[in-house]
Amino acid sequence: MAEQYAIEMRGITKAFGSVVANHNVELKVRQGEILALLGENGSGKTTLMNMLSGIYRPDAGEILVDGKPVSIQSPEDAKRLGIGMVHQHFKLVDVFSAADNIWMGSQEKDFLLHKSRYDRIRKVTEKFGFDVDPEKKVYNMAVSEKQTLEIVKVLYYGAKVIILDEPTAVLTVQETRKLFDVLRRMKAEGHAVIIITHKLNEVLEISDRVAILRKGEYITTVDTATTNEQALTEWMVGRKVDLNIQRPQVEKTRPLLEIRDLTIKNDEGAVAIDKVNFYIRGGEILGVAGIAGCGQKELCEAIAGLRPIQSGQMIHKGENIVGLSPKAILDKGISMSFIPEDRLGMGLAPSLSIIDNMLLKSYRDGKGIFVDRKRGREEADTVIRELGVVTPSAETPVRRLSGGNVQKVLLGREIKAGPNVLVTAYPVRGLDINSSYAIYDILNRQKKDGVGILFVGEDLDVMMALCDKIMVLCHGRLMGVVHAHKTTKEELGLMMTGALDLTGDEGRHAKGIAKDTRFGEEVEE
Amino acid sequence: MKPKQPLFHVVKRDHVSRGQLVLAYVLAVVIAVAVGAVLLTVMGVPFGAFYQKMFTLGLLDNKFAYKNVENFIKLFVPLLITSLALALAFRMRFWNIGGEGQFTLGALCAGAVAMQLGDSLPRIVVLLLMALAGMLGGGLYGVIAAILKVRYGTNETLLTLMFNYMALYLLAFFGETRGAWNFFLDPQSPRPRFMTFPEGAQMLTIPLGKFSLNVSLLVALALCAGIFVYLKYTKQGYEIAVVGDSPNTAKYAGMKVGAIVIRTVFLSAALIGLAGAFCVSSAGVLSTSLTNDVGWTGIIVAWLAKLNVLGILVASALITVLQYGAQAASVTYSSVDANFADLLQGMILFAVLAADFFTRFKLARSAHSGEVAK
Repeated sequence: MAEQYAIEMRGITKAFGSVVANHNVELKVRQGEILALLGENGSGKTTLMNMLSGIYRPDAGEILVDGKPVSIQSPEDAKRLGIGMVHQHFKLVDVFSAADNIWMGSQEKDFLLHKSRYDRIRKVTEKFGFDVDPEKKVYNMAVSEKQTLEIVKVLYYGAKVIILDEPTAVLTVQETRKLFDVLRRMKAEGHAVIIITHKLNEVLEISDRVAILRKGEYITTVDTATTNEQALTEWMVGRKVDLNIQRPQVEKTRPLLEIRDLTIKNDEGAVAIDKVNFYIRGGEILGVAGIAGCGQKELCEAIAGLRPIQSGQMIHKGENIVGLSPKAILDKGISMSFIPEDRLGMGLAPSLSIIDNMLLKSYRDGKGIFVDRKRGREEADTVIRELGVVTPSAETPVRRLSGGNVQKVLLGREIKAGPNVLVTAYPVRGLDINSSYAIYDILNRQKKDGVGILFVGEDLDVMMALCDKIMVLCHGRLMGVVHAHKTTKEELGLMMTGALDLTGDEGRHAKGIAKDTRFGEEVEE
Repeated sequence: MKPKQPLFHVVKRDHVSRGQLVLAYVLAVVIAVAVGAVLLTVMGVPFGAFYQKMFTLGLLDNKFAYKNVENFIKLFVPLLITSLALALAFRMRFWNIGGEGQFTLGALCAGAVAMQLGDSLPRIVVLLLMALAGMLGGGLYGVIAAILKVRYGTNETLLTLMFNYMALYLLAFFGETRGAWNFFLDPQSPRPRFMTFPEGAQMLTIPLGKFSLNVSLLVALALCAGIFVYLKYTKQGYEIAVVGDSPNTAKYAGMKVGAIVIRTVFLSAALIGLAGAFCVSSAGVLSTSLTNDVGWTGIIVAWLAKLNVLGILVASALITVLQYGAQAASVTYSSVDANFADLLQGMILFAVLAADFFTRFKLARSAHSGEVAK
């Protein structure tokens, strides 16, 4: 008799229109093992798991739970079968307490809310060994707490199979380690864990076996112990890939943009950036690291002139740019591109063509009342050619392009304007390996041309390889600027959580204030 | 045992060609008309003859067919201009449902000019002043909601809606309150009644034999072309597209979003006011029912046409044919009244919405488990 698996998916196919998200995919998970589901973005990992958790229904194929064929028509069905999923974007009600978020989906709920629900849920969390306060409101929770709550919720509903969709994307190094401890404990208790990820080092660290998808196709499943990063990448991408990010050495110039004692408020009126000092020289990439919401967005917006500042100075080539209009700042050669979580919300108009999007910042130039689409077409064609944008035509609406191509269009437009300071936030957000490397190349080319680049990133490994210096923010405060080749992930992680403050440390670390600035009294010539 | 599977599920369609889209819409109209035919049969009206009368606007075998065309144009022009104007605001995702109010205000301002200056100035000057007054009246009335939205983030749907009633009752007030100051009313009439405009304030017509062509039709067609070019090729049109698509992106590109919203809404409301001015000047008299619901119908037309200028021309013509034709046909078939047009209009809207759904999605048979789709 064949071995019995906790979950077995056979020949699963799912198409959205002509896009086949999953084609004939096989997946097997044993009880008490951690299976990593590895693949680039758009390879169908999340789609496959959504079918297991009842959000989508497969067009073809069958799912077996504990060896018995089942039909999962809704998340309720999945819950009954003991399958629980922790989504990348948490499904929590912000204004509810932790307990109520669990309670509202539970079977035992009554018409009235009893105080006793807190105790019952506290007992369960203690049993599983989690540190969650049942009465704490979700909006008061840190990201890692919310994630823990999601896991508790899934366990409370009696899940035997737990699916986690990119759980580490929002966590710091230390929090990731804590999460992995939790996963190992669940494994020891006999749960089957499926973790979706595209980070190779995590796969190797946590999983027992790895299932690999590529462009919706099932490639293979291997034992983690017998494989390595290079092999996994080849399966994932389909060919050999050089995993080294280049960091060309460029002669640095004087500071192009200097920020002094900058204080900014966020939309709610709280301080988002608190007396921050830093500078960017031409020909260098300055990374900005920090957990989500530490003020990166507000900082980018302030530099672009989109957000008023409370106090402080922003000095560009010796001139104060505080209070200038976004247009005036653009004209000075400061370009900002911010890729938000939905990728299209800022910087691009999704329903408009590539041509029209090229014109976004320059349509006012030129005389007359008409938009110069001829120039837009030329620019679009150049960007499509030079950056290798895959598109049916320059008239195609941007929202029809894939993520990588959208981001190439955005960066292409910014570079086309010939900036001397390039502020770019999350330029590789959600991109697969190939597109990411294409973007790094673009940035490095700009760096060689003497452009000063502020790179707000998520992936510490990438930032340590690509950037020259990394500045770390925590709750809007500068924790220090470090040389990327001298720092470690642990050090950055500690700074991101505020446990380590290097701003006073003059030793081996880079300083936040440039000595050779050309502003004010310090002009020497 | 095989687990239960639903028979059909909804699947997203790929790109649909323009031809298929038009076909789907035509089919939707045909279906709505067919349902209407069933209704007519139930009522004992021969639907063939009724529809013939309706879609030919009662022009066949009619000695006064030219009169019918003239009246048709009087209905068509206000609807066309209003729908165009609404589309302008809708493209920017500004939900101007205050067409009724802006139309009324435009008509009232134009009417004031007509009553005060109609006798003393040359006709062409009076008409231009009426158009100008209508645009200013409608435009300023509409822009209030835009300013409040930009400044305080108020909801424009609610405000423009309520502003409709203020305008309608203002007009009713002028229509029912007697007084030496109220120059709108006919002093001779025993009951309060709007006075007919002086000759010099009536819309210009170009005589073509017996038929006289209403000049406002030419203006409306020119507006169509103008708005088409405005939206497609000008910098301001580009701004409207970007603001409508993503206000954040517009802000990020350095656009003054608030100013763009106010400017566009003013233009939209001013055009509706112009439609009101044309309407009263063609009718030659004010009336409390002068809007003929164009502020509402215009919304339907704009959406049926997907805010596309050419589409608006077609859709507003179709809707006017329905309304005018049903009126003409009900002369012969008295058991069907003119409200039948509204009913058909509603069914067409539903059918088109359904067609819209099916151009984006299709129903597919669920494959049986184990079977692998290719």
